[in-house]
Amino acid sequence: MDQAHIRNFSIIAHIDHGKSTLADRLIEVTGALTAREMAPQVLDSMELERERGITIKAQAVRLSYEYSGERYELNLIDTPGHVDFTYEVSRALKACEGALLVVDAAQGVEAQTLANLYMALENDLAVVPVINKIDLPSADPDRVMDELLDIGLDATEAVLTSAKQGVGIDEVLAAVVRHVPPPTGDHGAPLRALIFDSRFDSYKGVLVYVRVMDGALKIGDRVRFMATKKEFEVTEIGVFGPNPTLVPELLTGEVGFFAAQIKTVQDTRVGDTVTHAGRHAGQALPGYRPAQPMVYSGLYPVDSEDYGRLREALEKLQLNDAALTFEPETSAALGFGFRAGFLGLLHLEVIQERLEREYDLTLITTAPNVVYTVTLVQGGSLRVDNPALMPPAGDIATIEEPVVQADIITPSEYIGAVMELAQERRGTYLNLDYLDALRSRLTYRLPLGEIMYDFFDQLKSRTRGYASLDYQLKGHEVADLVRMDILLNGEVVDALSTIVHRDRAYGKGRQLAERLRELIPRQLFEVPIQAAIGSRVIARESVRALRKDVLAKCYGGDITRKRKLLEKQKEGKRRMKSVGSVEIPQEAFMAILRVDGE
Amino acid sequence: MSGEWGLYVHIPFCQARCTYCDFNTVTGMGEDMHERYVKALIQELAEERLPDGSLASIYFGGGTPSLVDADLLGAVIDQVRLKTALAPRTEITVETNPGTVTAEKLSRWAQAGVNRLSIGAQALQNHHLSALNRIHDAGAIQDTVSLARNHGFSNISLDAIYGIPGQTLTEWQATVTGLLALSPDHLSLYALMVEEGTPLQKSLERGEQRLPLGDLVADMADWAEKALTDQGLMPYEISNYARPGFASRHNQLYWKLLPYLALGAGAHAYHPGRRWWNVRGVRRYMEMVEHGQDPVDGEEILTAAEEMREYLWLGLRQWVGVSVPAFSERFGCHPKEAFGPVWLSLGNMGLVAWHDSRIILTERGRDMANVVARALVDAPLALSVSP
Repeated sequence: MDQAHIRNFSIIAHIDHGKSTLADRLIEVTGALTAREMAPQVLDSMELERERGITIKAQAVRLSYEYSGERYELNLIDTPGHVDFTYEVSRALKACEGALLVVDAAQGVEAQTLANLYMALENDLAVVPVINKIDLPSADPDRVMDELLDIGLDATEAVLTSAKQGVGIDEVLAAVVRHVPPPTGDHGAPLRALIFDSRFDSYKGVLVYVRVMDGALKIGDRVRFMATKKEFEVTEIGVFGPNPTLVPELLTGEVGFFAAQIKTVQDTRVGDTVTHAGRHAGQALPGYRPAQPMVYSGLYPVDSEDYGRLREALEKLQLNDAALTFEPETSAALGFGFRAGFLGLLHLEVIQERLEREYDLTLITTAPNVVYTVTLVQGGSLRVDNPALMPPAGDIATIEEPVVQADIITPSEYIGAVMELAQERRGTYLNLDYLDALRSRLTYRLPLGEIMYDFFDQLKSRTRGYASLDYQLKGHEVADLVRMDILLNGEVVDALSTIVHRDRAYGKGRQLAERLRELIPRQLFEVPIQAAIGSRVIARESVRALRKDVLAKCYGGDITRKRKLLEKQKEGKRRMKSVGSVEIPQEAFMAILRVDGE
Repeated sequence: MSGEWGLYVHIPFCQARCTYCDFNTVTGMGEDMHERYVKALIQELAEERLPDGSLASIYFGGGTPSLVDADLLGAVIDQVRLKTALAPRTEITVETNPGTVTAEKLSRWAQAGVNRLSIGAQALQNHHLSALNRIHDAGAIQDTVSLARNHGFSNISLDAIYGIPGQTLTEWQATVTGLLALSPDHLSLYALMVEEGTPLQKSLERGEQRLPLGDLVADMADWAEKALTDQGLMPYEISNYARPGFASRHNQLYWKLLPYLALGAGAHAYHPGRRWWNVRGVRRYMEMVEHGQDPVDGEEILTAAEEMREYLWLGLRQWVGVSVPAFSERFGCHPKEAFGPVWLSLGNMGLVAWHDSRIILTERGRDMANVVARALVDAPLALSVSP
């Protein structure tokens, strides 16, 4: 296809504003799939993605569309819909010239709408506003148009749609052709193709999703990945329609995938540039950065014999997930396991669920934590990704923690509630804008560790579900942090150690001890619980001994049944981790996330 | 082996189903069905091969054996007499519901040789009895006991349940005191077990009622143990108390892993190395027997290791514990030889003790008998022991 008839675009939206449904409609209307083949939300191909309604990995679909008697090739590049994957979104946008900005006709502009818009503008994309869900009784397209005007968009260009009812879909496609510019690259220049995604296929090896910026890619080409410096020979090239179709080449401006007997996605980093091994490009496309885990968590098999299986499962998942890192770790309490790094909590949850579901592992996951940079008194610095490894307080000069800039859009009546929440989480106020008569945008600097877990849930509950959140990493800051240990039966349980702000330590210690008392089942012996900073105990609780554990009746008719009951109870206990003589359920290791120190 | 065995006879009929009950019972079947069923019991017995040794006990359990015509139970006992001698010591128990006992039945049971009554009292508060869907009131319990005494029954056991929804310690104390005032020879006090699928379980799940907290239930158990002991009713098993010489012979067969035959729908029988059970459906059971088919529905073959484990965790339910020489004689090895590490850890936890060639639960071990049972239920057998 000549470049003038190609359009590369993404759909960007706040979560739940109807991105996936619109994508489905575009695919359906252009006849890429028959109605019979359409499963709801075709692009969300992982089972987990469909269950959670979130796009975890990006994908690309080629649509064929006729406009004013001419045939166009429209490449829809889907983007992940979660803040954990902001970098992946930015790479997917880099592969486009335009974006559909979908806004819910009832909800209006939200935090992610803005964040996505800014990201699209940074990438010089043509933005086509789409006001979706106009079928809703509460839809108010006029108000949304005003909001679009307020954020600097030409609202008169907005397309009104109901993706659910198939209204306005053709108009969206026409707007893509009219408003999104064709790709500009140089067909004669050395090959430069941007990797915006990759996934592992057990037959073909890694499928690398690329947008050709300059030059052309053909079967048999020897290619080089400029960041990883790996070279491969291209064995297969294809496009998704959304069913895969093989093609002989990808030309400048086109989007597709290739296979080259690549064994692991670690070699094909999102954001890297593919060029020819022979006639190679002088300069890579800008903006590549290696995947950087933001949160770390210990993964331990409940049954220590599963350690090998856990390693194999992690290795397999890593084949398809360049952002997942792990290395062996030993815990005095939990035995042998791995410290794994994730882009964010959603990423952690997805990996944890896949390990348990697809690999049938029973795991103890320790509370996730951020990475601290510790400067030592005697000079030098350490990167600490496990609270248990925090050096003794006397050796530490400073501890730095990662911070984010968070933008929160909320109805103005909840400003007070949001500010209170941000204060509780050690936020620093930066800015307040009134977006319109009813809504405001609050900007705070917040420690990443404070918003990792239930911040979003709290934000929603304190604003009756109206507030939205987006955040970006803004480096590290020194904070007065200390390690808090938990002792059960007088022994430190390293997997329960956590880093807290000194001012909150007492409150958190007390709450955590209380939570643990509720979570740890009563057992044969009394279990004293202590929270301590260094050698100073700051909170005490105790799980009283269980008084009775008997089967009242056991006669001839139910000996078999009672034996099975005992075996089942024993199985239940195996799902808990025995630390010393104390049985600790999985939830106890996450308890710290549920205390706010107030 | 002592050469004793027992016979369990299941009478599945009930007038109404108690909310907590998950036994194999049916309601709404008339007298014609009772007769037909008992005929099937007699036929099943006629075709059974009896274990060697002497018959120590016959136990009519249910369901509600006291619901059916007394002569029907008598007919089963007569059939037993045709096949084996009944010693005067043979314990013959009928489980009774106070709402179904009459003077007429009592005298016919006595004539037939029944010498022990197990009376389901459960509670002495009418609101609890009706919440449990019992068909009788508290007065009927007292009446039944005195009627039974008048008919010469000298071995009477009463059942009661504690830890039922809404029950207070005071109410439980009143139940225990009230039952003790009836001078029973034996008492079974059961902590309520909520069984899957029962109306009680569903009601709890819907949040319509709540169970008392574990500590309160433990207080109930401890208070009752003291009250009974003070009256000379000594605990001899986790839930059972008796005056000296009145411990249930039948139930001891189960805990000692001695053989028992079982007649009736869903009944379980045991012979060393094998446990088997009949079809549960009452109609199906009758049809199979009437067609000359064996009503057995399933069986499990127990290996020597499995029998050793059962022998131990069942045996330790009894306060007398497990006799080491008896174990060694039956299984050809010492219990420590078989499961050494488990005894070590149970000993360290203070749950079992070894006294005069017996293994017994300590006081704490009795409270935590399930910890012991769970340790034994799949204890690895030492390699040196080859059964």
